[in-house]
Amino acid sequence: MMMNYPIIGGTTAHLLGGASIGLIIGPFAGLIFVTIILVLQAFLFGDGGLTTLGANVLNMGIIGVFIPCILFLVMNKLFKGTGKKLYAMIFISAFVGDVLAAIAAGTELGLSTPTFQYGLSIAVPAMAINHSIIGVAEGIVTVVLIGTLLKLRPDVLEKSPILSKLPIFQNEPEPKEE
Amino acid sequence: MAKNTKKLNQKTLIVGLTVALIFVLVGVFMFSYSMKTLDKQAEQLGAEEKPVFTPPFVDYNIPGLDNEWGALIIGIAGTLLLFVVSLGVAKVLHKKKGN
Repeated sequence: MMMNYPIIGGTTAHLLGGASIGLIIGPFAGLIFVTIILVLQAFLFGDGGLTTLGANVLNMGIIGVFIPCILFLVMNKLFKGTGKKLYAMIFISAFVGDVLAAIAAGTELGLSTPTFQYGLSIAVPAMAINHSIIGVAEGIVTVVLIGTLLKLRPDVLEKSPILSKLPIFQNEPEPKEE
Repeated sequence: MAKNTKKLNQKTLIVGLTVALIFVLVGVFMFSYSMKTLDKQAEQLGAEEKPVFTPPFVDYNIPGLDNEWGALIIGIAGTLLLFVVSLGVAKVLHKKKGN
């Protein structure tokens, strides 16, 4: 969240990381992790801020983490995540999580009139469009991260509350005793 | 935990941290001009900041070292701090769950 990437129109947006965290360590642990990041940023760097901490935890910690997890579980139930389908599911979960978190932030900004002079009709599309672009990057980064872990450390993902529901882990024989 | 798994976990952590630090390095030097966050845009749109307290490193800057190198130091220190704090919280929660 420290790194804000330039996107069209001279504006910037940053990756959330909520999807990758949620999918790997589960939504509840993911929420705690994102909250730690937001608290450190607010207290040390004045990024996000103390008075907006609640809104940020709601947007990035709850919506940004739980939505990708729920979406992924639903898609896994419907389409059985294997092969390319699995990567498409990860991408979609991360993308939608980012866009919905941005829409939530836009809604909060839009409802903050007159402190923020633009209403919902401007704030929501502005946030949603910006974060659709960064959502693509988030999707790619999440796919690469989880894809790498699936190849190198499937034993870690097997313990994930979310990714352990994948068919590759469900059909595997019982792990050997260590 | 088997010795091999422990070693593998340590290796994974080191690789993960290295990748995170490379991310910081690339981010700071390639995108540093856009490090200004959403509040800068909000200010352009007429919203004002009313800080309730002053953090020690406002907008990822070290006082007196307002350039990419300062941001790089902050980025590296921040990444390591986040790692240590998260590991600490995870250990405490894991212990509590175990009890």
